[in-house]
Amino acid sequence: MSTPVRLSLTSHPKYLPLVRAVVQEGCGLAGFDEELTHRILLAVTEAVTNVIRHVYGGDKDKQIEMEVEAEPHVLKLALIDYGTFVDPKQIASRPLEEVRPGGLGVHLIKTTMDHVDYRRNAHGGTTLSLVKNAPAHEESS
Amino acid sequence: MKVTQETHGAATLFIVEGQVDMHTSPALRQHLREALSNSASPLVVDLTSVAFIDSSGLATLIEALQAVGKYGGKLRLCGLSPEVQKLFELAQLTTIFDLRETRDEAMAD
Repeated sequence: MSTPVRLSLTSHPKYLPLVRAVVQEGCGLAGFDEELTHRILLAVTEAVTNVIRHVYGGDKDKQIEMEVEAEPHVLKLALIDYGTFVDPKQIASRPLEEVRPGGLGVHLIKTTMDHVDYRRNAHGGTTLSLVKNAPAHEESS
Repeated sequence: MKVTQETHGAATLFIVEGQVDMHTSPALRQHLREALSNSASPLVVDLTSVAFIDSSGLATLIEALQAVGKYGGKLRLCGLSPEVQKLFELAQLTTIFDLRETRDEAMAD
């Protein structure tokens, strides 16, 4: 999968299992173990959920694209939305000691992925780039 | 995701199967709310057959924990897979929830 696989879907949460299935295949091609794969599936789910909930306000018919590129020991993902650009400074996770619903997604993304980058894209929305290296290959990030 | 609800004496048991995410957590929330509206206690949520849970699922369980606390009830979770257990650890929730290994342990008392 050195050529990125591009998945285009609407912002309906029913597609979350499909997103996970594609990312899981990518993790397999990257040679990631089961535990790391599960962490990445969680991080990507949180990222897509954030787009649906916070960028599109729960609308289920907006466009989301995801690119998945797997190489041995490395998985690269891009999540592209067509909403309003989200200032990374405003994307904050809540302190974990505050036990309340919500606010965990960004924490789970940042503690899992080696590279997390939010950028304004050509459509005016946000492209979230995520990279994960296999633990023994972190120097390649 | 599938939720099976059973009553065993005073205890209300929810057997959850499948994946809990933004799409499916509202159904779990609805099941829990019905029991919470009746001030049921203890509530036992068996996660043995849950292969995946995200922060939406955690939020649903936190809401239930806070709601059950308002009437002095108890909420217990059991059967967490290593992956689900890891999520609870990452979210620093292992000391907040009453986690039991088996359903029998969770249903006891």
